[in-house]
Amino acid sequence: MTRRRPFFVTFLAPAVVTAVILAAAILEVLQYSVREFIPGSLDVGGFTLENFVRINRPIYWLVLLDTFYISLLTAVFSLLLSYPVAYALVRAKRDWVRSLLISLSITPLFTGEIVRTLSWMLTLGADGFVNSILRKLSIIDMPIQLMYTRFGVVVALVQFSMPVMIILLATAISHVDRDCEKAAANLGASPTAVFWRITLPLTMPGILSGVVVIFAWTMSAFSTPQLIGGGKVLMISNLAYLQGFSVLNMPFAATLSLIALVAALGSLALMKSATGRLEKRLAIH
Amino acid sequence: MRVFAFWSLVTAILVYMTLPTIVVLMTSVNPTEILAFPPEGISFQWYQKAVTYPDFQTAFWNGIVVTSFASTLALIVGSTFAWLVNRYEFAGRGVLEAVLWSPLIIPHFTLGFGFLLLGGAFRLQQGYVMVVLAHMVLVMPFVTRAVYVSLANVDGDLSRAAANLGASPFHVLTRIELPLVLPGMAGGWLIAAVISFTEFTASLYVTGSRTQTLPVAMYNYIREYADPTVSAISAMLIIATTLLMFIADRAFGLRRVLAIDTH
Amino acid sequence: MNPSNPADPAVEIVRVRKDYGSAVGVADVSLTVGRGEFVTLLGPSGCGKSTLLGMIAGFVDPTAGKIIVDGADVTQVEPYRRDIGMVFQSYALFPHMNVYDNVAFGLRMRKLSKAEIDAEVRRVIEMMKLGGMEERRVRQLSGGQQQRVALARAIVIRPKVLLLDEPLSALDKNLRAQMQVELSDLHRKTGLTTIFVTHDQGEALSLSDRIVVMNRGEVQQVAPPIELYRTPANGFVASFIGEINALPAGRYEISGGEAALVLPGIGRLTAPARPEWRFGHGTEVRAFLRPEHVQPAGTQAGDAQAGEGANRISGVVAAHVYQGSHTITRVTVEGIGLVETRVTGAEIMAEAPVGAPITLTIDLGQAVLLGEG
Repeated sequence: MTRRRPFFVTFLAPAVVTAVILAAAILEVLQYSVREFIPGSLDVGGFTLENFVRINRPIYWLVLLDTFYISLLTAVFSLLLSYPVAYALVRAKRDWVRSLLISLSITPLFTGEIVRTLSWMLTLGADGFVNSILRKLSIIDMPIQLMYTRFGVVVALVQFSMPVMIILLATAISHVDRDCEKAAANLGASPTAVFWRITLPLTMPGILSGVVVIFAWTMSAFSTPQLIGGGKVLMISNLAYLQGFSVLNMPFAATLSLIALVAALGSLALMKSATGRLEKRLAIH
Repeated sequence: MRVFAFWSLVTAILVYMTLPTIVVLMTSVNPTEILAFPPEGISFQWYQKAVTYPDFQTAFWNGIVVTSFASTLALIVGSTFAWLVNRYEFAGRGVLEAVLWSPLIIPHFTLGFGFLLLGGAFRLQQGYVMVVLAHMVLVMPFVTRAVYVSLANVDGDLSRAAANLGASPFHVLTRIELPLVLPGMAGGWLIAAVISFTEFTASLYVTGSRTQTLPVAMYNYIREYADPTVSAISAMLIIATTLLMFIADRAFGLRRVLAIDTH
Repeated sequence: MNPSNPADPAVEIVRVRKDYGSAVGVADVSLTVGRGEFVTLLGPSGCGKSTLLGMIAGFVDPTAGKIIVDGADVTQVEPYRRDIGMVFQSYALFPHMNVYDNVAFGLRMRKLSKAEIDAEVRRVIEMMKLGGMEERRVRQLSGGQQQRVALARAIVIRPKVLLLDEPLSALDKNLRAQMQVELSDLHRKTGLTTIFVTHDQGEALSLSDRIVVMNRGEVQQVAPPIELYRTPANGFVASFIGEINALPAGRYEISGGEAALVLPGIGRLTAPARPEWRFGHGTEVRAFLRPEHVQPAGTQAGDAQAGEGANRISGVVAAHVYQGSHTITRVTVEGIGLVETRVTGAEIMAEAPVGAPITLTIDLGQAVLLGEG
């Protein structure tokens, strides 16, 4: 290129500086993860792979497994609950219904995790909404334990993840060719058959990316397991925080943070190749 | 029948999605600490307590400062970068894009921890600089995306026509392209500001007691006390963000900025 | 359902109406399609032809009226229980299935046995010359092949009626001509009652037993192609089918066997009266003339002078459009506007260059005369 490129350097510089700062922050985590922990000190020692070996203990494995399990449950239930809403949102005939559905399903995205977590604490707590109602209706006399359980954590996480899931599914559903559904009906497929044989298969790439995005996203959840789990339900994020700020073992906290990052990147990379193949098979794009 | 069952299901799911919000709003105006049904009246005492609680006051202003700097910096860096990506092919473009998009994927506690350690390395830990940098990096993908979508919708022939009529690159940028992407930039800035103001996890790592933002102060309060003061703050945040998003949708077409596609 | 009676028409549309809010999509249309007939719904976009087709298939609920297929009222029947084949404008082939599965879909919905399905699918695939492509993904097919799959998929269920919604519009010109021939062959071979929707009058004229011309939701005329071309029922049909010159309204005079049209300020056109011209003496009529029935009489200035009089009008050449075997010449005539003539060969371009005066002979005997109002 011999042509001048106006603003090239001026506009490139801030982006590069930002990228370098971000990379430096992540490299710091990497750097700490291979340092020796000196008990009783915030300073770290020399190079070691000890932190990665340490992961290999059952208590840490269990946390990792629990993190996977909670993320998987969240992704699956998020899909099951979001699909009907996304379908209604795309297919509703009236404009105001569509607007209402969009507002109701998207707004929770912007209130922030603390507000949303607190809301669930008030809903699920021993004196919370659900228990009060159940007691009022004399269905129970003792409050049922919803807080500090895996169930409570998943109930909250599913609700948090739904706006994103709904956006992804709605996009996929809106790309389904309505003529294909009509053609299927014309060929004798009942509305149920049209859904299972045409609509659902054609939205498969959206379903797949939704499930994986939410899976990866839930693996990095922090405040919900922290507050609703209350130490009884530990995800990798809570373990990392505990190690860093209670045990003050920064190197091990760094190792756990790094593992969470790799898990998130890994599942997304897996999804990319899987959806890529699926879309090729469907020849959708 | 089938249609009725479907819409009942959708309604039930939406009730599940909105129930916690309604509970917070109800708790915030409850006269006593323990929520009772039906409510025994309405009281704004928790709101009064919330706005006069010193930690919340400090945290609110910290949040305003951090959010203003972080989203404005993100706007500048993000828009220029979006313009660059829209306009030029260059070596390393893919890498640069991947790095700047990565905060969407990197767990916030990893990112927060990274900035905490980075701050330590430069003796800036828990200071405003690190908080602003962390927030800026976190919200930048949203601004970049908003501007990128607006730029992609600008007909490239407009810029070529302006150049053909004798406009210098500077004038093409400021007279043609900037006015056309301004709504996208404003929408992107607003989303960035809302996300930054309500961000919790990374903030928990990078802020100190002096620089803590509102969500961090709320977290610390919840761990100490169990009264509805935090519900009052939450209610105010819910109302404020809902209003802002409503305005954003009206003014800048939020759905376009978020690229939600329903037709 | 009643067993179908061979005496019943294939499709009966009885005073069907579709309102969209206050706008009318289809206004009180009645139509009977005989067994094995190939009927075309023709009209400009928005004329209601696709809405009507949608109502027959069951995708659009009529506001009023009845749709009867094979003697049974299907107005309230769900689309998937109608047994009506349809080829969509976009083909709507299922992208996640191969050719075989697309064609087999309707039979599978009818819960036929595997062997029956296989036999039927193979038969239709052979018939549509799709042999060897069973495993192909539909997006790997050419436009013409996709078209054949869509047809195969629609006819394999042995539908009571076959609906074709502008199926040729996505094809390029050469392929379209070829598919027209194939559609004709298919219709002859299967004997399927076919309702075809198009906005292309050429397609309609070459394929149909009868054409239904629609405009603004109303049926303008139902007639075989030749009748439609020769004796259009009104000005809309006249100008929609083929090229035609619309002359301004004139006075119809009749004496003995001789009819005359007096165009004030332009001239007097005469011809032996035709039986279908049942206008009273002195009534207002409009004449429509095909370009081939307007011919140049002379191109010299003298000719033009001498030419004033019977069946002649004068004007100035505005443009020539050379079309190979013939030339379309547009002439500006005072009081009328542009009049089109169609002349064999290319000589006229030299004889009457643009701007030259020209006299035209009008063959009123070939004209379509329509009473006003």
